[in-house]
Amino acid sequence: MNYVFQFGIVRDHLPELLNGAWLTLKLSVGAFLLGFVLAVVLAFLRSNGPRAVRVAVGAYVELVRNTPFLVQLFILYFSLPAIGIRMEATTAALVGMALNFAGYGTEILRSGIDAVPRPQIEAGHSLGFSRLEIFRHIIVFQALRTVYPALASQFVLLMLGSSIVAAISAEELTAVTNSLQSTTFRSFEFYFVATGIYLAMSLASRLALHGIYWFVFERGQPTR
Amino acid sequence: MKRRDILIGAAMSSAALATTATHSALAQTPAPAASGGTLDRIIKDKKIRVTAEVTSPPFGILDKDNQPDGSEIATARQLAKDLGVELELVQVTAPQRIPALLAGRADVAISSLSITFERAKTVMFAPPHGALSIVIAGAKNHAIKSAADLAGKKIGLTRATLEEATVPKIAPSGTNIVMFDDIAATMQAMVSGQVDAAGMSAFAAKSVADRNPRANIENKFTVTTAFYGAAIRPGDFDLLQFMRTWVFLNKQNGTLAAIYQKYTQVPLVELPVL
Repeated sequence: MNYVFQFGIVRDHLPELLNGAWLTLKLSVGAFLLGFVLAVVLAFLRSNGPRAVRVAVGAYVELVRNTPFLVQLFILYFSLPAIGIRMEATTAALVGMALNFAGYGTEILRSGIDAVPRPQIEAGHSLGFSRLEIFRHIIVFQALRTVYPALASQFVLLMLGSSIVAAISAEELTAVTNSLQSTTFRSFEFYFVATGIYLAMSLASRLALHGIYWFVFERGQPTR
Repeated sequence: MKRRDILIGAAMSSAALATTATHSALAQTPAPAASGGTLDRIIKDKKIRVTAEVTSPPFGILDKDNQPDGSEIATARQLAKDLGVELELVQVTAPQRIPALLAGRADVAISSLSITFERAKTVMFAPPHGALSIVIAGAKNHAIKSAADLAGKKIGLTRATLEEATVPKIAPSGTNIVMFDDIAATMQAMVSGQVDAAGMSAFAAKSVADRNPRANIENKFTVTTAFYGAAIRPGDFDLLQFMRTWVFLNKQNGTLAAIYQKYTQVPLVELPVL
């Protein structure tokens, strides 16, 4: 191969790439927080709500997990305007990512909820706790601890999957990279550097999530 | 007269020097792998690989049976026929047209690539075989008459296209430019009202207006007219020379005009020589 690599042009455009990476990070963390809260609510409703609500939550989870993320985004961005709901590309991306994460998060939380020993819940009932109190005081913390590694992996998947929102014109890292390589034709160089940035963000967020786990679940706990 | 002769003589001797220099450089470095040249390989393998971008009507589309069709696909078919070889269409998205060629996935890119300085720095162009105008299209209720009216409007563009290269240059500050990866997404954004107007080829604008009569889409103004041609990997001079001859002959016998007329319903303007 006679290709000559020219990374100088990437250095010239580094601020734009970092801007894109910053939006990727903001979208991912924002969608994680929104989606997480929604997932906890849905997980509660799925195990405690009336039958109709349980079925509806189950249907939502299956719908999100069994349809392509790109199609979900297209519906939010291109189809909803037909019924008068119009969102900016970045908002649509955030909403789409949060709804998608909530679907997976609900399913992940369910396994954690199922893992809480039944006698603890029965003990809560006999102490006169309401369902919400049992969920809040007995189930949620233990469930989260069990499924934390799965949730953390799902966050990294969410961040990497955010590259898809370039398709609806949200200017995150992949979109910026696509624009730069299409105007400079230096596709190898720009995609290499984008790969490096994604890798760095993934590793950094794994480290941060590990730190959060220690802070929330292990700090001050007696050694077992 | 005398002076010109001297100049020509000087030019020739320096050209000769340059040739010698190249030769000695070649002698020292190992010969490139494909020394036979791309044209020889195409004829030997009885197969030419051509890019097919199928999201920009009328150049490249998928027909009712999901098969590639359009003026550029017809051009590629004609090229394979004239070479007497089999055609292999390499499906690409608009931004991949040049990368796919450079990466060796295709022998030639025939995907409505307008001839620009930027592209000419990376690939070699055959003489143009078609022409297109870039227009700003939008719904009738947006009052846009000239470039100045774009201020404060959201304008959709497709990455790696002529409109991306030209519209931002004429757009006044305050224009909100929104980029999409393929023309289908740009059209969809315009039809669904996510952008106020969009830059695209006049044919693309006609096609989207014809298919969505309720969206009331009209052409606002013409940004530029450009000519497009086949792109060839740098150094494939044998193939470039063949393409020059090919365009010349098909211009003479009316084949290019017939293909253009059939797919665009517009007569082909006189093509300049590259």
